[in-house]
Amino acid sequence: MTGPGTAARPVLTIDNLVAGYGGGDVLRGVHLDVAEGGITCVVGPNGAGKSTLMAAISGLLRPRLGSIMLAGENLAGRSPRQILRLGVVHVPQNHSLFRDMTVTENIELGGYTLADRATRARRMAAVFEVFPQIAGWARQKAGSLSGGQQRLVEFARALMLEPRLLLLDEPSMGLAPRVLRDVFGAIRQMNQAGTTILLVEQNARAGLRLSSHGVVMENGQVRLSGSGREVLENPEIGALYLGGAV
Amino acid sequence: MARQVYQAVVDGILVGGVYALMAVGLTLIFGVLDIINIAQGVLVILGAYLSYVLSVRLHIDLFVGLAITVPAMFVIGVVLQWAFIRRLRGRERTAMTLLVTYAAALIIEGSLYEAFGPDYKQLSAPYVTSSVHVLGFYLPYIYLYGFALAVVIIAGIYALLYRTRFGRSVRATTQDETAARLIGIDTSRVATLTFGIGVAVTAVGGMMFGATNSFNPNSGYDLISRLLAIIILGGLGSIGGALAASVFMLTLESVVDIWSPQWAIAVFYAALVVVLVVRPTGFFGRAPARAQ
Repeated sequence: MTGPGTAARPVLTIDNLVAGYGGGDVLRGVHLDVAEGGITCVVGPNGAGKSTLMAAISGLLRPRLGSIMLAGENLAGRSPRQILRLGVVHVPQNHSLFRDMTVTENIELGGYTLADRATRARRMAAVFEVFPQIAGWARQKAGSLSGGQQRLVEFARALMLEPRLLLLDEPSMGLAPRVLRDVFGAIRQMNQAGTTILLVEQNARAGLRLSSHGVVMENGQVRLSGSGREVLENPEIGALYLGGAV
Repeated sequence: MARQVYQAVVDGILVGGVYALMAVGLTLIFGVLDIINIAQGVLVILGAYLSYVLSVRLHIDLFVGLAITVPAMFVIGVVLQWAFIRRLRGRERTAMTLLVTYAAALIIEGSLYEAFGPDYKQLSAPYVTSSVHVLGFYLPYIYLYGFALAVVIIAGIYALLYRTRFGRSVRATTQDETAARLIGIDTSRVATLTFGIGVAVTAVGGMMFGATNSFNPNSGYDLISRLLAIIILGGLGSIGGALAASVFMLTLESVVDIWSPQWAIAVFYAALVVVLVVRPTGFFGRAPARAQ
């Protein structure tokens, strides 16, 4: 099973991507399609290159080789600001809210690149409709929120630009199990509202169950891809990365 | 004796305002770029020399001259950041910026020696030597003007940081540079402009320092050690903290000076040690974010 296993046309096509830090390559020729309208979940052991892949797509890390095509535009070598303008929003692994700013300020900053104030206001209203619970914390400092609440605010901030592709890097990281359901529910909700999502998830079972497509990375390469269910039920993958057969 | 102490407190508050003008730029630069600009002391002295040239050679009033020296120092700051500091990245960045800004300090100091020689200078104007007598206190005009200017400038920087889009991008970059990049903030531009603003403020601090102290090209070194103590005590990156710590340190020094001028300087640094033992982040510093 090597193909993407999808009938939907890809919104993002990665071809022979090589990237790394210092003298070494972390990504060693990654080939990957992200299907439009779906959730594609990338799983794999620590050091496989999952977060590096996200950083390369969003422009935090400049690729050394290969292409990252988004609707005919090659993202490789562009700045995070340029990539953001093309509709790719990255929510990184560590909590990324501005702790000393209020929740409202944080969400507004999600629309930093929107020049028009009316558009920002319209987007704010739309985001609060998607996540109405956030209104209750709107005036609180972001640093005072729980980990799960911070994740939802990060999602809300990401939606300010109506992304064509949303990159979520280990959104469940550091969260209590009872909070995970809310976070995964929010991811499903954003997807159902039309946002294409590329998800890196350490909680591989939960991530793959949520996803239309699954990708397994190992040593900086894609070892396997298919539908979320196919990857989840693959006995070899189950033994290696998912803690035994499903 | 009580009258002497009151006068020392008033003096300390007013001199603290002058030091706040010099420290604000340093703490602003640290907050955004996460570097200590060792050249800040020498840049203050450069600001004093620029005011000196405008005042002595072109007969421009010290305060009016700020309309020229502030933009000039802004440009110098932008060039320093763009040419040297912007290029430093990676794990050794903090150590390298210390070396690079120290090198910049040496170059500026050498240029000042070449241009003005080692003789001490002091800025002069009618209001530098006169004072007003209020409620039994002698208040030198230059310190009153300087303190008022410090309040205005610090309020201006606050307004810039909390009321403008640029200010929001500065605060975002200060708190989390990667997250700021990911929402589309051009953090390189923010760093360059912030460095420029931090250095521009030294034009004002330099004028005030030059009007209240004699100076030569070497005067920046004593100054930088004091400014570092102030911004650490205030809480690195905190502008309000820089003002509070300036007033606190200089008032303490001024009061101790009544009994022992020798101990006054020691108390300045001893206060830093004592406060940091009790509160390691300084007056308004924030503890590092908990690892996630």
